[in-house]
Amino acid sequence: MNVPSEHLLVLAAILFAVGAAGFFLRRNVIVVLMCIEIMLNAANLSFLAASRMHALAPGATGPSLEGPTFAIFVIVVAAIEAAVGLALVIALYRNRQTVSLDALTDLKD
Amino acid sequence: MADALFYVMAIGAVLASLGVVLAKNPMQCVLCLLASFFALATIYLLCGFQFLAAAQILVYAGAILVLFLFVIMLLNLGNPGTEDPTDVRMFSRANSAIMVVVAAALLFVTALAARRAGHMPIGRAMPEEGLDPIPGLASEMFGRYLLPFEAISVLLLATAVAVLVLAKRERRPGERQPAGGDAP
Repeated sequence: MNVPSEHLLVLAAILFAVGAAGFFLRRNVIVVLMCIEIMLNAANLSFLAASRMHALAPGATGPSLEGPTFAIFVIVVAAIEAAVGLALVIALYRNRQTVSLDALTDLKD
Repeated sequence: MADALFYVMAIGAVLASLGVVLAKNPMQCVLCLLASFFALATIYLLCGFQFLAAAQILVYAGAILVLFLFVIMLLNLGNPGTEDPTDVRMFSRANSAIMVVVAAALLFVTALAARRAGHMPIGRAMPEEGLDPIPGLASEMFGRYLLPFEAISVLLLATAVAVLVLAKRERRPGERQPAGGDAP
């Protein structure tokens, strides 16, 4: 594949923007968590784009492995975040019978 | 051929992510998220990150999405009647204006950075074993990054405990203990 790595970075930026938009606009907690997953995916993609950029540069000697290593860490953190977030959603639904973020204004009142 | 597939998958990933943001029903959001993950895994594969593509499918599509589906079905949010009414004013004029400004700024910064950085030429052919050979990844993870690896394993353990505590049904003080089988 001869696509320049900058295009990967642009794709990552667009995906991050879409995820951030959903994070700010949606009020459903579960969809907000999904938007966080999209943003983490975009971060992963930019790690891999940077790794590819270095590995395929003229004069490079071997693969650049920092990017994939941190991408794996990010995947693990995403799984942890989803598990904790969804447990919180279940606890919220048990107490309030809703998953809307607008119901959570206890600290404001 | 591979280039064309990359652009198709890139457009597909963006459209699927937009679907997550715009879909009314949480179940449709999950399905769009699944499409987005598969498109990204294809992109990883095209770029030469074979192990990462497999991990993306296994962890995201296999574990995280199943968690989301489990919660949505458990809370019975997939019905058309249980749509969240607060999302109706998602595209009020103020929200739309803010998002357009932020998106324009982000794209401007990205274009500027791409111009400033200049074009990085591709000087080598892709190695046969891809860009994330597993022996190399293993020696990184158990060599230079051993401390983060151990930290993240402790984090996983703490998460397992925390999720159990959070999701456990707490008993009110006056409630009697469940009797082990001698119910009246």
